[in-house]
Amino acid sequence: MTNALRLTIGADPGEVAGVNAAFAEFAETHALPAAIRRTMLVALDELLSNTIAYGFAGRGSGEVTVEVELRPDRLTVTLTDDGRPFDPFGMASPDTSRSTQERRIGGLGIHLVKEMMDEVSYQRRADRNVVVLAKRLREEGP
Amino acid sequence: MNITTRTQNDVTIVAFAGSLDSNSSPQAQQALEGILAGGARKLVVDFTALDYISSAGLRVLLGAAKRLSGAGSALRLFGLNDTVREVFQISGFATILAVHATEADALRGL
Repeated sequence: MTNALRLTIGADPGEVAGVNAAFAEFAETHALPAAIRRTMLVALDELLSNTIAYGFAGRGSGEVTVEVELRPDRLTVTLTDDGRPFDPFGMASPDTSRSTQERRIGGLGIHLVKEMMDEVSYQRRADRNVVVLAKRLREEGP
Repeated sequence: MNITTRTQNDVTIVAFAGSLDSNSSPQAQQALEGILAGGARKLVVDFTALDYISSAGLRVLLGAAKRLSGAGSALRLFGLNDTVREVFQISGFATILAVHATEADALRGL
């Protein structure tokens, strides 16, 4: 049984659901804890929808590769896209203390990812954006 | 995403099952807009069967909350799992929306 998953999608918002379904199946196969599965699904939705909405502006096409790697102590997801250079974690965090009427959603998704993941990183490499997300897993006791 | 609606006196209870994310939020928004257009002013959202929510889902809730902030209106939620609760806490939604543990708690005093 392989502990990795890799898929490539076109820059189309309709394709995010397919990635989420594939990851959910992977999580079930490997009996990932529900909290880890849900947290990663939130992060995937935020980053993929963001990249697809803004990363390929003015272009007819583009692609995003999603790689999932599961180790005993760590779940890592790497997102690689050939869109314009963009560091999602370089943005300022939104003000989450404002009232209902004053609240804006912009930037909130990335803020969620940064807070919910144990590690996030961004690199521009070979004309591609490479985003790595990691969640630590509790090691099973003997 | 499955959305079911029922009414109890003048309270509309909307249950979301599945995930409230970029893919399903247009459907959720349409459902809530329909309910509000029908004149509902007291809304209780049942998240018992909701797996997770992303910012796209938060945006839909915020839109409903803004429209239900006047006198005689209410938006309350219950049944959040730990991940949904974490998203609410990080985003600050836990302080701007009324989150209750159970349906009975959410309905009390409405």
